[in-house]
Amino acid sequence: MEPWVVSTSLIFVYLAVTIVIGVLANKRLAANMEDFLLYGRQAGFVVLYLTVVATFHSAFAFLGSGGYFYTHGIGFWAAGTWTILVGAVTYVLGTRIWALGKKFGYITPADLLADFYQSETVRVLAAAVSVVFTIMYIQVQATGLGYILSVATGDRLPLEWATLILLVVAALYLIVGGLRAVYWTDVIQGVWMYVAVWAGALVLVYKVFGGPAALWRRLATERPDLLSLPGPEGFFTPGMWVGMTIVLSFGLVFQPHMMIRYYTSASARTLKLLGATTPLYLMSLFIPMALVGLGGALVLPGLEGADADKIFPELLFRYAPAWLTGLILAGATAAAMSTLDSILHSNMTVLTRDVYQRYVAPNRSQSHYVAFGRCVVLVLLGVGWYLSVNQIDFLVSLVTLAAAGSLQLMPAVLGVCFPGRRPTTAAGAVAGIATGLVVLYLTRIEFVRPWGVHEAVWSLAANFVATWAVSRFTRPPPSETVERIHGEVERFVYGDGAT
Amino acid sequence: MPVRRSHYLPRTPAGRAASLAFLACMALAQPPVVHGLADRIEPRILGMPFLFAYLLAVYLLLIAVLIRTARRRV
Repeated sequence: MEPWVVSTSLIFVYLAVTIVIGVLANKRLAANMEDFLLYGRQAGFVVLYLTVVATFHSAFAFLGSGGYFYTHGIGFWAAGTWTILVGAVTYVLGTRIWALGKKFGYITPADLLADFYQSETVRVLAAAVSVVFTIMYIQVQATGLGYILSVATGDRLPLEWATLILLVVAALYLIVGGLRAVYWTDVIQGVWMYVAVWAGALVLVYKVFGGPAALWRRLATERPDLLSLPGPEGFFTPGMWVGMTIVLSFGLVFQPHMMIRYYTSASARTLKLLGATTPLYLMSLFIPMALVGLGGALVLPGLEGADADKIFPELLFRYAPAWLTGLILAGATAAAMSTLDSILHSNMTVLTRDVYQRYVAPNRSQSHYVAFGRCVVLVLLGVGWYLSVNQIDFLVSLVTLAAAGSLQLMPAVLGVCFPGRRPTTAAGAVAGIATGLVVLYLTRIEFVRPWGVHEAVWSLAANFVATWAVSRFTRPPPSETVERIHGEVERFVYGDGAT
Repeated sequence: MPVRRSHYLPRTPAGRAASLAFLACMALAQPPVVHGLADRIEPRILGMPFLFAYLLAVYLLLIAVLIRTARRRV
């Protein structure tokens, strides 16, 4: 049997499994928003663990990270710091978000912010940031998926059709089974992608180099520039290292699909265990990718730009058996779909809850909102497909801002979850987000990374200063609101009686 | 409205110890340590270049701090 038949068949078997899971999830579904959008706030450790790691690692883990190691060398091992910070932030901040969500019934990040700041402006701004900076990821993941399927079929299936097929499957199981279907498919996807990356990398390294130790020896001899900082192209400067640590830890945590996951936990203990242990999975996935990317630079030199991202599939097709290549490409499909479905879900949730229910059709039945959410997924499917087959320059720029864009919610969220002597005000939160976004645009697009410092550092610093300064001179939220929410945080963290 | 103590600084001894341990380990994985002392290929550790093995060790240490914190229910 030809290799492309094997790999394509395995991917379609995988897609069929995800649809079956969606149908099974539908049988457990209750027709209310908490169940459809938040898994009934009952996600246990194993399910939540695998959905968080599968959502965190996207098509980038399979394609982009290998490309980074290939082009910029060992500096991309900085990835370990941000994956561990994600765990720490989950431990400290995620539990507080969970406690407030459970107590006050929050569903979206904007719910949390608008309730504390008592401001519709904050709600609209938070919802807009949530949607704008993640909807672009639909395009990124859909394009990555289409590429994987197109490669697996040996370019027999055009990219546009491959993208459409995979978008339809993800949307289908989301519509049918809601967040439960997303979580259940993520369990399979999380296991599959981890096994696939390690298996693929080890097979390649032993077959091509004779083992990891031999690979490291050859690198030290032939390409020592790949084993030192800041790398062959001078990319991983100290400013970039710190900036990427901030943007790819805090920036990803503040994206709505990650924040919404905190609401869904069955308990605070589950979230703390999650924070302590997810870095093991997240960090160790980059070890095989380092072997792939750095090894690829030795045996397939000369790939530049986006072509470098193809190093893993290129090596597989040259050196791995067809069945293994198929399994691994199905794992790559899983990595991209697990992120795509989560982003589709979070955008559906924000648009249904923060826009439709709040401003268009309040006081309708729960089943009405669930039905509307399903329609939103169909619209997002169309938008995602359109964006992925039509490269629009402005949108391409926007994608580069995505993680740092979501990061701009950080000072406002901290103001809610971390009581201080003087509360952050609504005007402060709005000024901070607006200032951060403007500085982000300037330091990423107009004056690219001044003094080699990542745009996340500039924009977040400006955001914090603006939030603090404006909060000093504007009216704080009503005292009963501050007492209600900060009092709940106090009780949750330190128990009753603490002040 | 009661003036609450800030949540930005840990209040309990266990919380302070965990925060300090985590921040100290994180500093070992950031510039200037990484771009100065750790930026070398030799000596190799278990066949890995020094920088890679060093960062792996620091990452495992950070995870150990998190797991210990969770086990102590801080």
